[in-house]
Amino acid sequence: MKISWLAGGLIVSIGAVVAVLVLMYILPLDLLERSPIQPLNFSHKLHAGVNGIQCLYCHHNATKSPVAGIPSMADCRACHLYISPDAPQIKKLMEYWDKHEPVPWIRVYSLPDHVYFPHMMHIRASIDCTTCHGNVATMERITRKASLKMGWCLECHRQHKASIDCWTCHI
Amino acid sequence: MKRRTFLQISGMTAASALLAGCQSKNEKLIPYLIPPDEGITPGKATYYASSCNACPAGCGILVRVSEGRAKKIEGNPDHPVNRGRLCARGQAILQELYHPDRIRQPLKRTGPRGSGEFRKTSWAEGLGLLTTKLKELQQGHATDGLAMLTQQLSGSQASLVDGFMRSFGSSRHLSHELLSPGWLRLASRQSFGQPSLPFYDMAETRYLLSFGADFVESHLSPVQYGNAFGRMRQGRDTVRGHFTYIGGRMSLTAASADRWMPARPGSEGALALGMARLILAENLFDSSALAANGLRRDELLNRLKEYDLPAMAELTGLAKESIAEVAREFATTRPALAMAGETVAFQSNGPESVRAIQLLNVLAGNLNRPGGIYPATSSAGRENSFTELLALSKDMRAGKVKVALIKGDPVHTIPPATGFRRALDSVPFLVSFSTLMDDTALQADLILPDHSTLESWGDVIPLAGSRHTVYGLMQPVVTPLFDTRQFSDVLLAMASELGGSISAALPWKSTVELVKDTARKLVIPAKSGDFEIQWVELLRQGGYFASNKGMGKDYRWASASALPNPPKPIFAGDEKTFPLHLQVFSSTAFYDGRSAPLPWLQQLPDPMSTVVWNSWIEINPKTAASMGISHGDLVEVASPQGMLRLPVVIYPGIRPDMVAIPLGQGHTGGGRYAKDRGVNPLALLAMPEGMERQPAWGATRVRVTRVSGKGELVTAGNPQGSFRSELIGV
Repeated sequence: MKISWLAGGLIVSIGAVVAVLVLMYILPLDLLERSPIQPLNFSHKLHAGVNGIQCLYCHHNATKSPVAGIPSMADCRACHLYISPDAPQIKKLMEYWDKHEPVPWIRVYSLPDHVYFPHMMHIRASIDCTTCHGNVATMERITRKASLKMGWCLECHRQHKASIDCWTCHI
Repeated sequence: MKRRTFLQISGMTAASALLAGCQSKNEKLIPYLIPPDEGITPGKATYYASSCNACPAGCGILVRVSEGRAKKIEGNPDHPVNRGRLCARGQAILQELYHPDRIRQPLKRTGPRGSGEFRKTSWAEGLGLLTTKLKELQQGHATDGLAMLTQQLSGSQASLVDGFMRSFGSSRHLSHELLSPGWLRLASRQSFGQPSLPFYDMAETRYLLSFGADFVESHLSPVQYGNAFGRMRQGRDTVRGHFTYIGGRMSLTAASADRWMPARPGSEGALALGMARLILAENLFDSSALAANGLRRDELLNRLKEYDLPAMAELTGLAKESIAEVAREFATTRPALAMAGETVAFQSNGPESVRAIQLLNVLAGNLNRPGGIYPATSSAGRENSFTELLALSKDMRAGKVKVALIKGDPVHTIPPATGFRRALDSVPFLVSFSTLMDDTALQADLILPDHSTLESWGDVIPLAGSRHTVYGLMQPVVTPLFDTRQFSDVLLAMASELGGSISAALPWKSTVELVKDTARKLVIPAKSGDFEIQWVELLRQGGYFASNKGMGKDYRWASASALPNPPKPIFAGDEKTFPLHLQVFSSTAFYDGRSAPLPWLQQLPDPMSTVVWNSWIEINPKTAASMGISHGDLVEVASPQGMLRLPVVIYPGIRPDMVAIPLGQGHTGGGRYAKDRGVNPLALLAMPEGMERQPAWGATRVRVTRVSGKGELVTAGNPQGSFRSELIGV
């Protein structure tokens, strides 16, 4: 009687531990990594969505460099001297500028050093930005949709008949 | 601890852990405040061609610059000297740019000399102070009170310094380096009647005989000769060149040889003559070459009578058979090449020994022939002999020098036995142009920091690296990081400040104008067209590389010169008290010590002993066993000149009657990585009696005594630094 109770308890507790582990594996608990809180509440929805600014207007290195680049503080300021200069977030931006400090944006898309990902080649192949970065125009805060795992890269490369030689990315 | 406090503390710990977990661990993405003007695309690198000046070899380099920061240096494939290769010292000059202890603005001394107490000052004040001092000399009609001490300069910088000193009215310009091949120029002048350095056509030779020339590590142009050696061994389908090394210590070069002959120090010249005698006696020489050089067999044989084989075997400590075998191989393999190195030249009989080795080349008939020796193009700047160094030291002690301008680190690289270090104390005003607070800068009254190599304009005429005209350009690849100014710009500023004939002699506004002017003179006769276009092209290529024959005349044995006759070597220190010969050798990482501040090179294991971050002394296992010394022990090395303590490396590749210490460590300054690390073996070197005319830095005897078992030797193979002889089986 007592032994069967004990055995039952044991099975239940092991089951609970396994269930928790499975949940931890499945649930998107890496939210901080995929959608970190940025130092300024910059809204892509407002810039790219409502105002319809082209991606390449700010990320203008994407066509000619491996990295897309982010706009310089001077670029942000140039517009916002005139456009809603009184908004609280813009005031925060100007505080950074007055201190001669860059905004320490938190990187959302990052690949390990042994992967070479050139933006310009993907732009040249007419891959839309949203293919990897999701529909940024609807995002208040940037959330990474892609897994950035090798399988995900290969899937797309196969689909587009791009090279899947090791040396293509691991140079 | 109370239960309540415990709960509070654990609660706080848990809360802080939770808070830390809320912050993203992703890396930061830092935007530019103000975007760079032009030419910089983030993520895209730019490559600039320039020249290395870590040693006088002057290799061509390509610097990868990303976002306006220099990132990586490689050899320039189009440069005729190094053909795309580069040594570790050249790769590491990147760290000279980013060194955390660089001098960032002019400094003026406040404390006593050597204390390192300085205050920051402005360029206006610093230059003003120097101008005042120089004007005082002019007004007192004592312009000879200005002394200039530089490393070996070449190209436009050499002519600028010469012009400055001449127009100022001072003859006291000393261009000195410990390892400069002045001895080779001297010997060539005596033997061939012209002072040009030899260019050895090693790649095409079939038998190479090196008398202590460590061409893989530091001799003349190491990258060029390292590459040529590879081509000599493997570059031809049917021939693999043979290589014999003669010298008491197995250097990296000697370790690459087919045969190592550890001759007794000071006997190498006699050995060369012994080989010459055998070659003449057995009629193995090139008779047409001998006649063309105005030499006669019988006369030579008569003069070399005393250098017979048994006497040579006795003198050198080598086997008769092997001497004869090498002599025959050398004479019967054509083309064959003999070269002389520092270990031979720095003996008391060095100059004559070097000439004896040059005579072997005449016998082998390889002067101005493929696989032999050619005169290298040399229009390098002035190079002072050892006597001039001693003369300047004497003048300084006598108080004849009032102001000394110093570029380089002579305090570290000139042996104290010359009295130079004490002489410097009697100069009232010292100006240093060092980029780091090195041993010399510590003594200076005013420091006007130079740009690092990668921030400078300049030109380099490579030392003995080619028989063709090679003119390497240096261009700044980054904007200067700190408030520094180039040495030559300071000289030009002084010249315009002093006015009169000096500014008339040096009309250039900046170094780049001067360099451009030098390049124009060099290129215009060769090419026509718009110079501005050619200038951009020169900068793109990294210099001007002509394939024409060099300016030097062909080598021919000077009929007036006497036959070499090396006297018996003499040594400082008597044999009873100081039983071991000391050899100081140039380390692969530091050359003469100038690269020691760079941590990459400190971390670079010595190729033979794998020691890092330290000095060491190499002792033969037999000698060590007889003295009860084991690997890693701390020993005291004493010479008639000085005393040092350093760890032991038991090294089978050295003669039992010899010990060896690498050059380069033992700085009192030089930034955090070099300061107070290891020892400077130059402190041990003594000048043998009557050796005031030549640098006999290989002629000191020492005594070694064991101090303790704690040498704290760190090698790449044993990073913990704990050594027990029984573990490694010595």
